Amino acid sequence: MALLTATLRSAAPLIFAAMGGLLCERSGVTNIALEGFMLMGAFAGVAGTWFSNSPIVGLLVAITVGAAGGFVFAFWAITLRADQIVAGTAIVLLGLGLTSFLTEQIWGQAGSSPGVERLPTIGLGMNVLLPVAFLLVPITHWFLFKTKPGLRVQACGEKPEAAQAVGINVAKYRYAMVVISGVLAAVGGAYLSIGDLSQFTTNMTAGRGFIALAAVIFGNWMPWATMGAALLFGFAQALRFHVQALDLPIPQDLIIALPYILTLIAITGLLRQSTPPAGIGRHASEG
Amino acid sequence: MSSPISSVRMKRRPLLAAMAIAPLAGAIARAPAVHAQDPLVVTMVTDTAGLGDQNFNDLAKRGLDQAVAELGVQGEVIESRDAASYIPNLTQSAEQSDLTVGVGFLLTEAITEVANQYPDDNFLLIDAVSEAPNVQGVLFREQEGAFLSGVLAGLMTESNQLGVVGGIKIPPVVRYAVGFEAGARSVNPDVEVVVAYADTFSDPALGKELTLAQYNQGVDIAFPVAGLTGVGSFDAAKELGEGYWVIAADTDQSQLGAEHQLAVSEKGVDTALFQAAQQVVEGTFEGGEQSLGLAEDGVGLGNPHESVPQEVLDIVAAYEQAIIDGTITVPSNEEELAAFEPVPIDAIATPVATPSA
Repeated sequence: MALLTATLRSAAPLIFAAMGGLLCERSGVTNIALEGFMLMGAFAGVAGTWFSNSPIVGLLVAITVGAAGGFVFAFWAITLRADQIVAGTAIVLLGLGLTSFLTEQIWGQAGSSPGVERLPTIGLGMNVLLPVAFLLVPITHWFLFKTKPGLRVQACGEKPEAAQAVGINVAKYRYAMVVISGVLAAVGGAYLSIGDLSQFTTNMTAGRGFIALAAVIFGNWMPWATMGAALLFGFAQALRFHVQALDLPIPQDLIIALPYILTLIAITGLLRQSTPPAGIGRHASEG
Repeated sequence: MSSPISSVRMKRRPLLAAMAIAPLAGAIARAPAVHAQDPLVVTMVTDTAGLGDQNFNDLAKRGLDQAVAELGVQGEVIESRDAASYIPNLTQSAEQSDLTVGVGFLLTEAITEVANQYPDDNFLLIDAVSEAPNVQGVLFREQEGAFLSGVLAGLMTESNQLGVVGGIKIPPVVRYAVGFEAGARSVNPDVEVVVAYADTFSDPALGKELTLAQYNQGVDIAFPVAGLTGVGSFDAAKELGEGYWVIAADTDQSQLGAEHQLAVSEKGVDTALFQAAQQVVEGTFEGGEQSLGLAEDGVGLGNPHESVPQEVLDIVAAYEQAIIDGTITVPSNEEELAAFEPVPIDAIATPVATPSA
């Protein structure tokens, strides 16, 4: 039971960022910026809570900041047609630098914020955002495969020229998906800072944005499979903690490597069938 | 004192100068005269946990702040984002300062390399020794302070289960862990100590999960030796509420949850940094190695929670005396721990009961 809840808790922030990344990539924009959005969201959540004394306001601030970050990324990657990998890297570095800088400016201490109030919990150590993460998966699936805008997003990602030719505004759909990815990843960051913990610390996302992106690829850009990948990563971590806590006579180094070994086994077995959207990284009017 | 703006400028100038000099370093001899008028510069280079870890690096910063206030030196901090930035950061520091402080075992190889490049500069390395002759390595006998935390935890636990949440498995962390277990086993033969490593010093969310896993397993007192990762241990204790305790390592962390902090296993990183700065100011700084334990007041047990009874503190004090006297040799690695025979209180109580002549 403890293993199950620990798995869900570890997987939830990954699922937020992964669903955002999935929608963004499905529309044809490579998104390695997730880590940056998450960190900005983690920071904004704490800053908003600190100034307003309300974690709900903090969450709204995180959403706003995530949207703004997404908009900046979209402007670079779509309007200015910058290389999407370079633009994404810039967002990650911006997230790290800006949050460190503002932490020192606002609270006058480097590296970490003071403690703030947390989002309400629903028992078993789970906060209100956790079920939202899992609800997002069917919603994303339904949107992508059952609605007209969702199918158009896929068209933009698979064959942007054809989508353009039938009158779909590719840039508009891509902008929307990038901004949504910023929002969702930021909520994933806020999950860590004001849901799970109660303060912001430098680089507290610790690569979870990249793991979320790995989950998207591992899940073959399909919502349910991506959730499965995020759960596998979460389970591997949770299992590692529980094996360590049981103090079994297994070498520590092997236990620490457990999540990575599991991931490696899963990827070598499954990744061969993984195919990205055909039009990813291509602009509509390139010929 | 100067205004904030001018102090920012003060900070930038040597840095810019260093950047300008760097490409020419081989060709132009560094002019010590530049430093003669200006205050001495002491720069600390953090490990990857960085400032704000509310632990090891912040403790070093406190020693630096003290040196700035009392010795009039100019203090600088360079934070390391990843292991690859240790050498560039230490090089930048060596260019701009009279004393470079490498905060942590993880910087050992990098500081040796840089110190060999700058044989006339002074370096202080916390938690390790270096082969370079101009590096002063300060080793703490963390196991002695941790032994006392273990005694306290062994007497205070209700579940007879204790947990160590380690950061990365490096010698100073291991010394804490084995000292803690040796102390706990000495006063409580039924106690079980589980040791887990997060493999990072900078992921508090992971630290929380690791601590929760131990608490759910029956542990009631956790001992995080994990930098920023250990911040999450307090979140875990707060989540489960009363009866779940944390013993902080290195420095007081009561700001994270005073009602859950049972005690602090202190480590005088700040004192070591301050004293090195003082030696540089007085011109007596030397490379080499020093070891600080209970006898030198380099480590200790502090800030016991108000619920800890006086009898327990008396027993802790008896053990402290026994370690200082050399009656107990605390194990410092896993092999020594395996060979360690617990020392029950009866074995050391007699000399304490007798009033000292």
